[in-house]
Amino acid sequence: MRLPTLKPIGIRAPRTMGPGSVSSLLKIALDVAYVLLMLITGILLLAFVAAIFVPMTDALADQAVTVGEGSDARQFALTRTLILFGLGATAAYFAGFLLILRQLRLIFRTLIQGDPFMPDNVRRLRQIGLTLAVVTGGVWVAQGLVAARLAPGVMERQGFGELLTPIFSVLVVFVLAEVFREGARLRHESELTI
Amino acid sequence: MAIRVQLDRILLERRMSLTELADRVGVTLANLSILKTGKARAVRFTTLDALCRELDCQPGDLLVWEPGPQGSADDGED
Repeated sequence: MRLPTLKPIGIRAPRTMGPGSVSSLLKIALDVAYVLLMLITGILLLAFVAAIFVPMTDALADQAVTVGEGSDARQFALTRTLILFGLGATAAYFAGFLLILRQLRLIFRTLIQGDPFMPDNVRRLRQIGLTLAVVTGGVWVAQGLVAARLAPGVMERQGFGELLTPIFSVLVVFVLAEVFREGARLRHESELTI
Repeated sequence: MAIRVQLDRILLERRMSLTELADRVGVTLANLSILKTGKARAVRFTTLDALCRELDCQPGDLLVWEPGPQGSADDGED
């Protein structure tokens, strides 16, 4: 069966690579997100360091954390350990995504230059995959710790099913890295074809 | 690589410089140097045709097979 052919409607697809393309627009967005994330991570790290050294026994004396909602809600005393854990885990989470954004920015720089198939991008994509695995794995472990230690019976424990999407994403990034490796190999071969 | 391009010998026989050959064939000097030094991975038929035409020789005069390690051209690939 022959499929009907569509007439061109005169709308040109935007350029995906090179200066003034979609890539350069995305690079600007990544730059903005990178700076914001750097600021947030910096503030969180400062707060973490401050929480280690600044004495706050009096300030925390009547503070409490509420976990859960309605009749299941439970209150826990806000301790220095809890604050350090919360700040440390959040700072590590943002730092991980900062690393991912840094590598993404470098990849997009090569896209703007119109030359993405370079060995450096293979390394960058692998680093992104690895960081994504560590960050999502870390979040899973941290949530499990909170559910088991801080709020047993209030928060549901993490299941392995929640790891499926992150695992899939990490695998896709690693496969993309291999696609880039093959692209870099072909480019190298075409450079040496006279 | 087991395939060697005998460009040096033929250029000497024809008393032609690499720069002159590059001009005649329409290939950059850098690319002809890659070919001459044996770093090339492949040669296009169009390049081979132009080389044979300008050097008045057969492809067999340009290319020689020498026993060597298989796939050594992949050296240096990351």
